[in-house]
Amino acid sequence: MATQEAFNKISEAVVDGDGDALVEEIKSIIDGSDPLEIIQKGMMPGLKQVGDAFGAGDIFLPEMLMSTEAFQEGMKIIEPKLMAEGKTVEKTGTVVFGTVLTDVHEIGKNIVITLMKTHGFEVIDLGANVAPTKFVEQAEAKNADIIAMSSLMTTTMTYQKDVVDYLREKGLRDKYIVLVGGGPVDPEWAEQIGADGTSDSAVGAVEIAERLIEGKKGGK
Amino acid sequence: MVNFIDVLDRAASGQMMIQKDFDVKVFIPALRKVLKNYDIKWDKKTAVNMDDSLADRVFEAAVDFYSEVGTYITDTERVIKFTKQEILEAVEDAPKEAYFGEGPDRCVMKGRLPDSDELAHCHVGSGTNTTEEVALRLVESYARISKAKTISIPIINTLGHIRTAAGAPTEIFAGIRAMQYGREGCRRAGRPGLGIIDHVSSCASGVASIAASAPQFGARPSDGWLVAPFAELKTDYSSLNQSAYLTAWGANIGQEAGPLLGGYAGGPEGLAIVNTAYSIHGILVIRATYHLIYPIHMTHVCSSVPEVLWATSLSTQAIARNMRVPYYTLLYAAAGAATKMYFYEALACLLMLIASGSGIEDVHPGKARITNGCTPVDMEFTCQLGHACKGLTRKEANQLIEKILPKYIDQIPHPPHGETIEECYDLDYFKPKPHFEKLYTELVKKIKDDYGIELYKY
Repeated sequence: MATQEAFNKISEAVVDGDGDALVEEIKSIIDGSDPLEIIQKGMMPGLKQVGDAFGAGDIFLPEMLMSTEAFQEGMKIIEPKLMAEGKTVEKTGTVVFGTVLTDVHEIGKNIVITLMKTHGFEVIDLGANVAPTKFVEQAEAKNADIIAMSSLMTTTMTYQKDVVDYLREKGLRDKYIVLVGGGPVDPEWAEQIGADGTSDSAVGAVEIAERLIEGKKGGK
Repeated sequence: MVNFIDVLDRAASGQMMIQKDFDVKVFIPALRKVLKNYDIKWDKKTAVNMDDSLADRVFEAAVDFYSEVGTYITDTERVIKFTKQEILEAVEDAPKEAYFGEGPDRCVMKGRLPDSDELAHCHVGSGTNTTEEVALRLVESYARISKAKTISIPIINTLGHIRTAAGAPTEIFAGIRAMQYGREGCRRAGRPGLGIIDHVSSCASGVASIAASAPQFGARPSDGWLVAPFAELKTDYSSLNQSAYLTAWGANIGQEAGPLLGGYAGGPEGLAIVNTAYSIHGILVIRATYHLIYPIHMTHVCSSVPEVLWATSLSTQAIARNMRVPYYTLLYAAAGAATKMYFYEALACLLMLIASGSGIEDVHPGKARITNGCTPVDMEFTCQLGHACKGLTRKEANQLIEKILPKYIDQIPHPPHGETIEECYDLDYFKPKPHFEKLYTELVKKIKDDYGIELYKY
């Protein structure tokens, strides 16, 4: 049976981005513990602390990235036991996220993805230069809630519209929350192409995603 | 310096790794190591660094850092790396002057030391979104600014009712059209030889940029082409293709980068090192003859906040003192055009740059996100300030910025949107509209009264 002290150590290891320490702590308690409890009482509070610190401007992407990397290392130890016990981790929502066709800039996307993970989202990173149909195909395949698109340039943001148009053509527009972002993207553009939201900051993007997911789950 | 062909060979034969490993296992640990080894710490009390030894340590840290990290090539998934000796030799051999333009409009951009009494290179313009209707007049208005030595021309992203798309033929047409407007605008202003140094801002792809650069559309090798990386220290064959073409043509190549404070670079200390490392990358990989940096705060999406000012001042000084390459900086204001807040933000940014040894460009209003959101008044202001503050020291700049920051810092999270050029400027008469002229005239008087800087009004 894991103690609060053990959970605290796990949480600290996540905050420190120390994958080795995290794996060691998890290994020391996993045999006698509920794997979900390790995640919910140890790992997630650490990850939430990191996300909050990033939102407050106290830490930056490197620290947050190291924490989410450590988290993934920890999950590798826990997942086999979760599967064996038939348990699943509750997530805020599932997002397919990519930088649009012909655009190879990924940092904005990567920052938002990392922050989303700290807020309990499962994010499927499609990378850069993603074709419009691939966003939809992957959203369907992963049973996603949100399609999120990033674009750094005015000449590439036009492909965000193509994704929304394709969703409409397929009769799938209402199935997904569509978020757009990137340097030139503003609320007018989001509204013009029929997206559900945008923000010029990572924190704002995650807030919108959480709000819209909440509405979706509530059937609003 | 390592030959460009040898650099390309390394792009095809260097260590292979996935991009995420480059970010997480190479870039971040190497940056953390040099920050610790060289004891680089943000001085929250000053906007402009005044410590020469710290600037020199940032340069040494950037050399160490870049020798360990190199440049990632996304197409080949390989890393181009250089030894410290190769880096230092490249810094020694890098061009220290860049010549732009032709005839009476020809000019030279040079490296400049901090606290120097040399005039900062005054560059104006905006490689930002512009509607086709105003593009030509806008370029003419930039070129009319007599103190401007070089200009940038706007991005055109529509062809009539059609929106252009990267990688599509429309991008090539837009690039060519922008090039033609650029040259014609300079001619109309009576400065046909003026150097345009942001080619080809309407083109994102290498193929479109090269196509639009064919001489029959107006480009000259004495113009300048900006070749951008991806965050951070990554490039691709599309960009290297541009460098290959421009190198073979003997054209000016500009290394440009806009590292994010809060991104992979982390805080202000990391940003200072990454800014500096980009110039090394520029010399060796992009084959840059001049350099442009535009750091931005990740959350505020502007550059006028103290941590970005300090980091930029520090990296500028590191480069100025140790590399002396032709160098200018573009910074972003949170407030939109034709607002008092914009001018205070611009004032703080430009004073920092002048004292630190950088060339100056008009600070872009409204985070550069507003179509037709830059005005010639911003550009005239920049050039006047560059001349009025020639010889400004870092100590003087700090004293002034300390007084200026309270004028806008609390409004950074919710800045005024400002106006578009159609709302505040008359492009037929090339002068601000009465309400903007009044605001500007009052501001010029206030700047003289409060800070002792004498600019002339419209």
